[in-house]
Amino acid sequence: MVFLPSTASATSAVDVGLKRSHVDYSRYLSAEARSRLPNPIKSIWKVAQVKPGTINMGNGDPHHTLYPICEVNFVVPSIDEHDPVQSWRSGTGEQNIISSYKDEPCALSLRTAFAYGAGAGLKDVRDALADLNDRIHSPPNHTVSLSLGNADALTKCFRLLGDPGDSFLCEEFTFSAMTNAALPLGIEWVPIRMDNNGLVPSDLERILSNWDEAKQGKRPHVLYTIPCSQNPTGSTLSLERRQQIYQIAHDWDIIILEDDPYFFLQYDLGVSQSTIQQYGHTRAMAEVLPRSFLSMDYDGRVMRLDSFSKIVAPGMRLGWVTSNSYFADKLDMLTDSSSQHPHGMGQAFVAELLGSNGWGVDGFMKWILSLCNEYQRRRDLFMDVFRQKVATSGFATAEVPQSGMFVWIKINLEHHARFSASQTPTVPGGPTTNTADLMDELFRKLLNNGLVMMPASTFAIADRTGMMGSHINDRVNFFRATFVGTDETIRNGLATFGRTLEEFFL
Amino acid sequence: MEEQRIDDNVTSNNGVIDLSHHLSDEARNRLANPLKDIMRVISECPVTDLITMANGDPHHSLYPFQQIMYGLPSVQDPSDPVTSWNNSGRTQMIHSYRDQECALPIRNAFQYSRAAGLVQCKDAITDFTNLIFAPPNHHVMLTFGNSDGLTKVFRLFGQKGDHFLTDEFSFPGMTNCPLAYGVKWVGVKMDSGGIIPEELEKVLIRWDEAKLGRRPRLLYTVPVGQNPTGSTLSVDRRKKIYAIAQTWDLIIAEDDPYYFLRYDVPQTNCASADPDEFIKNFTSTLIPTFLSMDVDGRVIRLDTFSKVLAPGMRLGWITSNKLFHLKLGEYTDSSTQPPHAFGQMFVTEMLSEHGWKIEGFCRWLRSLRLEYQNRLDLLLDVFQREVEPTGYASVKRPEAGMFVWIEVFFEKHPRFVHERCSGGSPVVARTNTECLLKELFERLMNTQGVVFLPASTFAIPENALWVESDGHVPLSDRTRFLRAAFAGTEDMIEKGMIRLGKGLREFFQE
Repeated sequence: MVFLPSTASATSAVDVGLKRSHVDYSRYLSAEARSRLPNPIKSIWKVAQVKPGTINMGNGDPHHTLYPICEVNFVVPSIDEHDPVQSWRSGTGEQNIISSYKDEPCALSLRTAFAYGAGAGLKDVRDALADLNDRIHSPPNHTVSLSLGNADALTKCFRLLGDPGDSFLCEEFTFSAMTNAALPLGIEWVPIRMDNNGLVPSDLERILSNWDEAKQGKRPHVLYTIPCSQNPTGSTLSLERRQQIYQIAHDWDIIILEDDPYFFLQYDLGVSQSTIQQYGHTRAMAEVLPRSFLSMDYDGRVMRLDSFSKIVAPGMRLGWVTSNSYFADKLDMLTDSSSQHPHGMGQAFVAELLGSNGWGVDGFMKWILSLCNEYQRRRDLFMDVFRQKVATSGFATAEVPQSGMFVWIKINLEHHARFSASQTPTVPGGPTTNTADLMDELFRKLLNNGLVMMPASTFAIADRTGMMGSHINDRVNFFRATFVGTDETIRNGLATFGRTLEEFFL
Repeated sequence: MEEQRIDDNVTSNNGVIDLSHHLSDEARNRLANPLKDIMRVISECPVTDLITMANGDPHHSLYPFQQIMYGLPSVQDPSDPVTSWNNSGRTQMIHSYRDQECALPIRNAFQYSRAAGLVQCKDAITDFTNLIFAPPNHHVMLTFGNSDGLTKVFRLFGQKGDHFLTDEFSFPGMTNCPLAYGVKWVGVKMDSGGIIPEELEKVLIRWDEAKLGRRPRLLYTVPVGQNPTGSTLSVDRRKKIYAIAQTWDLIIAEDDPYYFLRYDVPQTNCASADPDEFIKNFTSTLIPTFLSMDVDGRVIRLDTFSKVLAPGMRLGWITSNKLFHLKLGEYTDSSTQPPHAFGQMFVTEMLSEHGWKIEGFCRWLRSLRLEYQNRLDLLLDVFQREVEPTGYASVKRPEAGMFVWIEVFFEKHPRFVHERCSGGSPVVARTNTECLLKELFERLMNTQGVVFLPASTFAIPENALWVESDGHVPLSDRTRFLRAAFAGTEDMIEKGMIRLGKGLREFFQE
């Protein structure tokens, strides 16, 4: 088998001076990731590209003259509107057309977008996103790779970092569709306690310092966290907590998977108008957005997952992973060995949107700010109606979320006549209350009254270490509600909710 | 959030046998969507206008797309839209709308979807599949192309210690993938007609489970325009291979990106104005697939738009039995999610009344096939002029695909070595063919400025434990080919063959 060493490594983000060259990241990798071979055809292709005038009859790539698409035009909102999202929704705003062409000049030609490429994605798009990263997070020394969205990126990270029998850390209520994806890979989850403000750092520390490798297997080396609009609890980690968590990760040598699809949907920001006027929207937003784990990642232990799903649309199937260049390279190898680089139309769209003929990065941040205002309006409406229709009874309470789409509604079951706090657990360490049963009853009652909210049990990660002190089923007295629907949905939904609670408790 | 549903009129099994024992541990252990139980409870709820505050799905009024327009070739010229496209470039615009009627509206396309993909796109491709391939009892699932589909199939069936079967020269871009998790490959002997069925059978009969572990249960093949040899399996061979698959309980992964690029077929009557007649004529020029003969449900067929639209489309589909379809759907939900809205919208509109329709797409395919055939003709013409006369290489005309498999007669090289030894391992090289091949490859690239891929790139390593010891010629000694692609421009093809001729002369006459 002919193997030619690859010539160029992945594009690096702007290096602000920290050298990472002597850190050995290979020890974090799964056996699979360590033994993965690079694609030999791509290696040859890279070498062949080096010499100008070389005729490449090595690859079976259809010639661009045979692509049956000469242009793609996207009709998008005009970013010149004062409040682009409002204008768009009301249909009163102007529209722009941004286009990508095969045979005419544009930011990213369809000739390139529709060809085969490397797993990391096209350089133009990666560079644009690295630039955005720099302006928002100023990451110390990281590389951008494109993904098909965060589910794709995250599950690839599981394969990259996890061996069968490994334990990974996560928030005790989490996005279970994703944690479930790790189970058939033989990865087990170790839940960390949460409070109103998210993951509790001292509990993370407790788990790691009490870990007994003889009994429990290898100490966990990966933490999966959703730091903004945590799914499902809706909490956003404070700067202080993030620093504590990063310190613990540093001490215990943990990789942090920062899953952040709601990062750009933040509320009560207090964006400075004068900063916008003087320096543009990106700078103004960067000043008020939370500090990401990426922004403090001097060890290179953070893999940050960004997605267009919530800020453009879920069907974009496009996102970007920011990590140290070693992990980026290994991730790209996995991508080359599976899904391949993202689709040309999505990359072309992003390149045009962020380019000079489109919104540009500042225009994109203007759209995002406008989106934040829209979601904030709905959050405020939700909380208002909640206060009026639900909270007055005292049967349920909710904190005001600082970001994202979720409200974590606490059901105060202790007011229920049939609530029991002193049950004998059926198994050692099992639940001592009938919370789970009552919540199931309430869920069905809501359903019959015409309302769907997600019960906490859907997201609960049970502790297997036997050291948590209480079973999570004693804490599943919550619903995850979203405020993404219409005003009518919010009003009618919460009215039904309030009414149903009264029926349930009385 | 739409739930995965299978057509109600497809009864369970329906002649399909139980193949669940083929699934890897990973596939078996995969949980369905954790929300599935909740979704079931919700769907069983008799209340009609449920208010849902359950999902974090951005509302469609916030998608920043009102319309998307795509410029396509007009297929009005029924005989040769590809050439018309490159000459006059007459364009037909097709549209995806948010607020107006179209085949797959923006407001649906950009939502989260599950498993098999958006129903409008899945249905459009199912219609195409049923018309062209007539699968007995199968279901369609969308993928991000055949690399995505195939590597998902590998994970569905393969785990550490397993062996998979494939052509002895195969595509390492794909065959390398399961190596990382401990699956090994067994290469099956080929000739110019592809895998030799009798050789496949020999491997299975001879397999020593005590020494090698479980007998291989999956055959991966590219049956039309095989990559890299360019061979196409005849109908007779397909039937034989299918029978072997039935006897030995194999899954057949039918990877068919070049399926429509088949040459030297009787010309479809393109003057036929009747779409149905055109389609009927067109499909009669296509070779029966493994899928079409799959009474057991053991074939997983992978189709892609990469070679017939564009590689960057990143869209394809898998046709398989119900069980595998569901399992692949579960895996998709646990990983990539279904494909992007752009591709699904484009393909749905392209196949719809507003676009090319199936008939127009078939006209494009037919025209594309003629275009590639022209390039093949050119390559072979120049080869005959510039390379054949050297006496150092020859080539057979492929039936399909994008590659020619050029045989080089290394035995004519002054430094060719043939060790006459008997005994020893049947897989160790007896000649320095492979070394000379690599040298030739490098010379051609560095001195002549032309790249062909050496056969060694594609050779599946042999193991003495599964080859016949008597009379077996080690694969290394048969690794005497260069793969040339004729997908480039005429200029490239002409120059490439000239440089090959020159390079061969210099190499052999050093």
